[in-house]
Amino acid sequence: MRTLRATILAATLACLMATSALGQAPETVAGLSPGEALRLGERMYREGILPSGEPMRAMVRGDIPVDGTMFSCASCHLRGGLGSLEGTVVTLPTNGAWLYQPLVGARMNPTARERLPEHLRRDEFRAAYTDATLARALRLGLDPTGRPLHPVMPRYRLADRDLQVMIYYLKNLSAQPSPGVTADTVRFATVIAGDVDPGKRAAMLAPLEAHVQAVNSQSRHQGRRAQHGPFYKEEKLSAYRQLELAVWELSGPPATWEAQLESYLREQPVFALLGGISAGEWRPIHEFCEAHRIPNLFPITDFPAISATDWYTLYFSKGWYQEGETAATFLRGVTDLSPTAKVVQVLRDDPAARALAQGFQDTRKRLGQPPAEVIALAAEERIDGDFWTRLGARQPDAVLVLWLGPEDLADLGALATAARMPGMVFVSGRLLGDRLYSLPEGVRPFTYITYPYSLPGEQGRAWLATRQWLKSRDIPLSHERIQSQMYFVGWMLSGALKHIRHDFYRDHLLDVMDMMRDQYYAIAAYPRLSFGPGQRYAAKGAYIVQMGPGPEPELIKRHDWVVY
Amino acid sequence: MRCERLTAVAATVLLAWATTPAPAWAQDTHEGHGDHSAHMAAARYAPERSVARYVTPRVTLVNQDRVEVQLDELLTADGPLLLNFVFATCTTVCPVLSASFSNLQRTLGEEASRVPLISITIDPDHDTPEVMKSYLKRYHAQPGWQFLTGRRADIEQVMHAFDAFVPDKMSHRPLTFLRSPKDGQWVRIDGFISTADLVTEYRALVVN
Repeated sequence: MRTLRATILAATLACLMATSALGQAPETVAGLSPGEALRLGERMYREGILPSGEPMRAMVRGDIPVDGTMFSCASCHLRGGLGSLEGTVVTLPTNGAWLYQPLVGARMNPTARERLPEHLRRDEFRAAYTDATLARALRLGLDPTGRPLHPVMPRYRLADRDLQVMIYYLKNLSAQPSPGVTADTVRFATVIAGDVDPGKRAAMLAPLEAHVQAVNSQSRHQGRRAQHGPFYKEEKLSAYRQLELAVWELSGPPATWEAQLESYLREQPVFALLGGISAGEWRPIHEFCEAHRIPNLFPITDFPAISATDWYTLYFSKGWYQEGETAATFLRGVTDLSPTAKVVQVLRDDPAARALAQGFQDTRKRLGQPPAEVIALAAEERIDGDFWTRLGARQPDAVLVLWLGPEDLADLGALATAARMPGMVFVSGRLLGDRLYSLPEGVRPFTYITYPYSLPGEQGRAWLATRQWLKSRDIPLSHERIQSQMYFVGWMLSGALKHIRHDFYRDHLLDVMDMMRDQYYAIAAYPRLSFGPGQRYAAKGAYIVQMGPGPEPELIKRHDWVVY
Repeated sequence: MRCERLTAVAATVLLAWATTPAPAWAQDTHEGHGDHSAHMAAARYAPERSVARYVTPRVTLVNQDRVEVQLDELLTADGPLLLNFVFATCTTVCPVLSASFSNLQRTLGEEASRVPLISITIDPDHDTPEVMKSYLKRYHAQPGWQFLTGRRADIEQVMHAFDAFVPDKMSHRPLTFLRSPKDGQWVRIDGFISTADLVTEYRALVVN
């Protein structure tokens, strides 16, 4: 009898101890290796899929069943686990560091609380979670004191082993601050890839460095505030850190860039990448960030990696691809075209044209339309008026999508006097640059131009503010779009760091960005940037414009910034 | 002897609790204070209900199949209907609102095909028809549930018309609207409502 009792008690205690050993890596978790448990736990958390492959099941608001295909933990708690604030609902953090400490008052950590005079210390709002109470929270929706959680927190139906995996994952989620952060500094890097034009390099780097200096110049002031400020602001003020910005230059063929980046990272870890610029493709840097889970905020590139699911690089836009995408979407909405009208793309074999064409073709496919024909010009082929006349005759009433530069389009006027005119012509405003304004008058009535930036005359206030700031920092104005983009990066960085406070987790940096309001003011180059969890191209559109008559024509919008 | 037996029983109960599968749903347990305070918490989180008349603007929106929808015609057609404002990458609010629509369809069964559900995006920049179609699929939407997008200015006009406008999508409220076929007035529910209560509201609209 005695032996049986002792055995039962010992077994129970051993179970409980094994599952609540915070900080010590267990040998197995629910029979899995720790690495495998983390992988499966991550899949549960982010995708709502059980280790068995089945969707997770839960109830919300008492009687509403939800499954993992609808939404997952990450939907509300976000990838970093620090929660979100949306409208009327605060989603509290669910990361290891937060769960396994007591909650002692608004955003006050236990150390800060200790320093308060006795009579100002508040009781714990709730004790630290343990594995057992966390299990109860997930299954029954009760906090450690037995109080029910908000009705929209799902009450999960989980088998014991799945629960152990989930708890293990949460314990390790944003449990330790990310690399690149010390008690006094946060280290960033900016990547300069390939043979970048020196003027563009300076346009990218100077505003960014100026912002870093602006933040750091407050050190003495912020330091004093942290030490002597009111106790209720202590947590916020002590989060201030100096910023460091390393410049990571990448040389040689792009295939060697990932290795160079890894070498830089080993030498000196950084919290995240800011801005950056490439002479050509961006993909190797994108892949590096995905592999190492390092955020990169707003690199300057016209060749971003296009993905619906990659996470770690937040781009201004899809670059060239976006113009092609917009043209195809706009075209679909045109109702007065002949249904048999052919769609023909004309381009040379250069990276920009290829990206434009890719955006166009991918979008036609996505919209369920047949692919456009492609006329790929050989390098030695010259385009003159005859070319256009012949093209017009061969493809009457066609939609001509001309991803060509100003030299190639110099004789485009021949189309206007051809026997058969095309139905529509598309050209890229970006490829044409300043030569856009010399587009022959005869073709203007049927030529549509993709214009992926704010129009001349728009964003007057934003341009003024940006230029004033640059002048105040003694930065000469040049490559103004790039400068305005980096002005935005620096401007939003301060706000983002304030939101992060002490929670220096790389995933949380991106989560904070994702919760940003639509931006109009600090970004002169675009009409609008918008954000949201998983949204990785902030400028969602491009204008479609036509040109008015005369030598100084106005650009006339034919659609809103975003074409759907 | 008795002491040992009690301890053995206690230990067995403890072990049993720690290893049995959880009760199916929260209502099935009488764990500690959980049951009682759940009711009190429900009162604290109860949604606000009001009735109002809204005038739908004459705008053309586009649904998840890229079919154009004349919104004022849609919202004044015969029969009851439900409306909410969501967006595809929303955290917290929209997942629950959409799960609520999903469960309403499931609960109504065959009747669901006679009750149009309309979700209007407040993030038209991102929510293209393809995104919306994928969203509806995730929520196991049955025929009758449309997700609409459109020009930003038009969407804003609709939000204003329903007194649901927020300057930024992140601050939107959890609103569900039910339209009465009897007098064209709208029941406005601000907050999170259970399916049982939503069905009750719906039945009140259609009962003569």
